[in-house]
Amino acid sequence: MSATATIKLVLPMRKMQPESRAFVYGMIGVPLLLFAALIGCYGRASGDALAWLAARSGMLLTGTPSSGLAGGFCANIVMSLAAMCVSLCTGMLLCIGTIANTRMVRLIASGILNLLRNTPWLIALYAMLYLLPFYVAVFGTVIPFSPFVKAVVGLSLPVTANVAEAMRGGIEAIPSGQWESARALGYRKNQILRYIVLPQAIPLLMPNMMTVYAGLFIGTSLAVVTGTSDVLSVANTITASDGSRYATAAQLYVLLLFFLFSFPIATLSRRLERQMREKS
Amino acid sequence: MSLDFTWLADPLYQTWLLRGIGTTVAMCVCAIVLMFIFGIVGAAVIYFRVPLLETLTTIVVELLRNTPPLVQLFVLYFTLSELGLSVRSLATGQQIPVFSGFTCVVLSLALYNGGIAVEIVRSGLHAVPDATVDAARSLGYSRLRTFWHIQLPMAMRLSTVPMTNNIVSLIKTSSQAAFVAVADVMYYATQITLENFRNFEVMLVVWGCYLALASFASTVAGRVGRAMRIPGYGV
Repeated sequence: MSATATIKLVLPMRKMQPESRAFVYGMIGVPLLLFAALIGCYGRASGDALAWLAARSGMLLTGTPSSGLAGGFCANIVMSLAAMCVSLCTGMLLCIGTIANTRMVRLIASGILNLLRNTPWLIALYAMLYLLPFYVAVFGTVIPFSPFVKAVVGLSLPVTANVAEAMRGGIEAIPSGQWESARALGYRKNQILRYIVLPQAIPLLMPNMMTVYAGLFIGTSLAVVTGTSDVLSVANTITASDGSRYATAAQLYVLLLFFLFSFPIATLSRRLERQMREKS
Repeated sequence: MSLDFTWLADPLYQTWLLRGIGTTVAMCVCAIVLMFIFGIVGAAVIYFRVPLLETLTTIVVELLRNTPPLVQLFVLYFTLSELGLSVRSLATGQQIPVFSGFTCVVLSLALYNGGIAVEIVRSGLHAVPDATVDAARSLGYSRLRTFWHIQLPMAMRLSTVPMTNNIVSLIKTSSQAAFVAVADVMYYATQITLENFRNFEVMLVVWGCYLALASFASTVAGRVGRAMRIPGYGV
């Protein structure tokens, strides 16, 4: 053990971690690949396409030509964060349901879990689009449901199932001896969960949670059906107004944006997972 | 709120739904076959460390796994038509693209889930014990034959569970074909909602269709996995 540690100290950069290598490859290779695709598509006119992209990239990133972060790619990020918060809460409830003592609750919770897991995201979004009202009146105050809220609710439905599964995996990874000894010490079930199991399980389920979040972020591209001003609908609007000549360039740029955001998260989660495997 | 399913009795809507399900199934079957081919070829290229191709495959797989399949579909759809891959019809004189929407969707599904399949097959290959590979080599199998006859069959058996998840994800992702006007079940569902405004009920029916398809696929995959299992290997 000490021998390998010293070797690692002496040769810190000789052998890169597999994830770092893949990260460098991806971060350099993918933009090059997309650039090559752009040049292959436009040939001589690729300079014009790049200039057009540079002029329009602010619009794609924020949704407005002036300052403001209400639309475009920023909307996708905000939407994914909001949906993740919602589905963390609902997923935790669902997960507690699947390990409950009562058999009925367990059955219902795992039924809901299976239903949600097999739902296509697009259908969840469409259903929320028509199921949720345009506003609700609570004690006289009117709360409007914007397309943004509908998209968040629709996205968090399938993600709830993924979160609950990841949590259950983390909780089941805690050895049963922990449960038994805590029970012998007189803890109740919810106390064991809260004070013994969850603190140990949270680091275990971090990589899976990050994978779920990366998947959710990728899924926000489907929010275009709800009519929010996300990056895809902004791209469609721009190409509709400027002529469809640069449609491919816009789509390639959107592809690059999504990649640059979600690839570091995926790499980090793989790295955490490997470190955990090596530790155990 | 009351649910009204009387529209399901209309024979026109029944034909539409059935035709849509047919298209979806055809699309999924083609995409699954292509996905396996992409996954196995990609994993083999990475495993044998083919120079240059290995780097390219790694980059493409990272690109496919970390970007939305919807945008990939749009890129394929626009790029292929942009590249001018079209033929002039002799009868009408119109330009017809070589790649129809259906082909684009099959290609994009196969690429997106094939990228995931590459990783799955690759981790399956890593799980095959070295001793088995050494034994095959010492029996006189060449590297390629070892791969084809010993490593790949075992790797596929070891990776049935993630592969099943991947197939279910492919079926769920196929619902976005309606965006490029392929007449799948989602497309006909939106057509029906445009006619009778029973949005929620139609979505429920389509949801049931996808649930049935996904459950059927995972059951079949589980059966195949159990039937192919070799005692002593795998989980």
